Amino acid sequence: MSDFNEEESSGRRKFIRVTTIGISAACGIFPLAAGIPALLDPVKKNSGESAKVPWSKVAPFASLPEDGSPAKFEVVQETVVDAWTTYKDIPVGAVYLTRKEDEVIAFNLKCPHLGCAIDFRKQTNDYFCPCHNSSFALDGSVTTENSPSPRPMDTMETKVEKGQVWIRFQQFRPNIEEKIPLS
Amino acid sequence: MKMIFDWLDDRSGYRNLLHEVLYEKVPGGARWRYVWGSCLTFAFFTQVVTGTLLWMFYSPSAQTAWESVYFLQYQVWGGWFLRGVHHYMAQAMIVLLVLHLMQVVIDGAYRAPRELNFWFGALMMGVTLALSLTGYLLPWDQKGYWATAVATNLMAEVPLIGPAIQQVVVGGVEYGHHTLTRFFALHAGVLPAMLVGLVVVHIYLFRKHGIHVKEPRPKKDSYFWPDQILKDAIACLAVLLAVVALTVYFHGAPLGPPADPANEFPARPEWYFLFLFQLLKYVPAFWGAVIIPVFLALWIFLQPFIGSTRPGHQLNIGFWWTLIAGSVALTLLAFSEDNANLRHSAALEEADWQAERVLSIVQEEGIPPAGAVTLLRKDHENRGRNLFAAHCASCHRYNGHDGRGYPVDDAQSAPELAGFASVEWISKLLNHEHYISEEYFGGTKFKNGTMARKVLAKYTAEETALLPRIATLLSDMAQLPYQTPLSEDEREELLALFYNDDLVFQDGLACIDCHDIDSEDEGHAPDLTGYGSDEWTIAFLENPEDERFYGDENDRMPCYGRDGKLTNEEIKILSDWIRSRPSE
Repeated sequence: MSDFNEEESSGRRKFIRVTTIGISAACGIFPLAAGIPALLDPVKKNSGESAKVPWSKVAPFASLPEDGSPAKFEVVQETVVDAWTTYKDIPVGAVYLTRKEDEVIAFNLKCPHLGCAIDFRKQTNDYFCPCHNSSFALDGSVTTENSPSPRPMDTMETKVEKGQVWIRFQQFRPNIEEKIPLS
Repeated sequence: MKMIFDWLDDRSGYRNLLHEVLYEKVPGGARWRYVWGSCLTFAFFTQVVTGTLLWMFYSPSAQTAWESVYFLQYQVWGGWFLRGVHHYMAQAMIVLLVLHLMQVVIDGAYRAPRELNFWFGALMMGVTLALSLTGYLLPWDQKGYWATAVATNLMAEVPLIGPAIQQVVVGGVEYGHHTLTRFFALHAGVLPAMLVGLVVVHIYLFRKHGIHVKEPRPKKDSYFWPDQILKDAIACLAVLLAVVALTVYFHGAPLGPPADPANEFPARPEWYFLFLFQLLKYVPAFWGAVIIPVFLALWIFLQPFIGSTRPGHQLNIGFWWTLIAGSVALTLLAFSEDNANLRHSAALEEADWQAERVLSIVQEEGIPPAGAVTLLRKDHENRGRNLFAAHCASCHRYNGHDGRGYPVDDAQSAPELAGFASVEWISKLLNHEHYISEEYFGGTKFKNGTMARKVLAKYTAEETALLPRIATLLSDMAQLPYQTPLSEDEREELLALFYNDDLVFQDGLACIDCHDIDSEDEGHAPDLTGYGSDEWTIAFLENPEDERFYGDENDRMPCYGRDGKLTNEEIKILSDWIRSRPSE
């Protein structure tokens, strides 16, 4: 390559070049590498800890229509932590509740397809997603053939205590057949 | 593979460009003195990359800035490291700037035909300093908040438009959301973009004129690649290692307590601005903000022309050395003045205490939407020591200080209250020597009162031996959280002692002749029933002039509740705090 390096052995030249490239690459990569753990932090935090979903009080049992037709309620969670902020008693989502004898069935308002808000249609007495036209029966099952939604509406655990409906409110991974909670 | 590169070269001509970049001639051979520019470029590159990553975590508002930085520092995996690298690389950049500047000046590389590039370099120095100034505020902690307040107040010194500039930069009259959004936009957008543009021009001009060689040439000419690049890379690696070492050693950048305009903090800029800070103790702000910077800018502009002659060049070198020596001297002076100042060290310790305190509260209860500063404001521990400092410490002391660690200028004129009502505290109180000392009642009229003259001064050895037991009994009534309560039997035994007729002092005075305990006789000295307990302390703070306490014998102790000097809540917080721990 250069005429005034001729007398140097090619071994030494090679060493210099490899060292230079090595150190330069290390320096070049370093700033990004310094932030990789922080960047990937959300992935690390999501794995594993799906355990404790808290109970949230939703509504008095008496406020649910006796005929089993659904009613929509906000779910207010006692403690919600969003990164650094701890919120007290704030809405985290909404549910349709229906009475089934002494028990309550809860459906997440979000469509299992891509997360649009599902409407309840009084005329046809079914659920309908206005985004991509998935429709669901009152029990949450998919009613259209070739439905965009790969699974029935998402149910959650409920209980009735001292006349109040409680729910373990959760979101689920969209657009897959299996119902997998997001933690 | 070769085909792809050929195609790429055909369409872009990158091989020529690369050749041009790498085979720049280095007259006189590669030298260590040329590495500073590359190091600075590397430092800036690091700041851009780490800064962009930090951007993903930062939230610029008065309620979320500190909080988001806290979250990054303490909750995000490796967040402290990322932040630390950005913080210490910023400091390294300042050091590198000075080295680069001095190399250019000493080698005479600022003279024709490189004047323009010298000026561009000076501009870049200004932008870098502005970057560090704006970055200092972003964590929105006490240090950044108070120091930046000083810096922006200096802006107002500019004639005519100064106050307007200040308001534009601060985003209003007061510090708040818009100060942060503006500083952030400057720090992460405007200033780096300017610096990128200036770097491009700087490097273009540098390439146009080539490296300025200091004669005599030590070696024969070589090329930028690989000889000079190897030296540059090793120097960059050394900078990197130093930054990593600092980051690991200090476990990232510091984060003080959240900014609070009502919570005083001694404003100090980052160490490389300390010389300016110190200078402002001697010259009016107008000099620091306007005259000196304008003079510097003019001088820098003229230097290439002054340096065209040999004496002129010597003058320029002398000017920069003098400037550096002066800055170092002022910086050392600033440090030594602060070190010698007890109040300053106390203020730093207090800030450290608050920072730790807020972390422990956050771990317990999280951060409310109103921000972390509200946690400290309503924290009883923090309020207790502040109430003591504000209302009690002008007469009383707490472990010899004002409750927060600050020394008090006024002489002590009322008892030391650390460990108040504990066995140890009462035992000392019952010792004549301590009683009349400044530590207890030496500064009050009780120094010559009945208790001192007729009781404590006249104990026999037998009576003295009983005192620790009396202290134990009295202290038990205080129900202090850090002392184990006496059993019923122990208490009975000690009470019997208190009423013991044998414990009568030489002129016939027993405790119960003046003090009541579990009785309603209303003796004229303070009622000792429940002495030091929550109820007793609160009642005492509310009204020491009550018959139950000093009555009209009271010596200057304010009636905090009766006269409305403190609210009931504040009195309760103060009482809890005073009773919360033993003395140190």
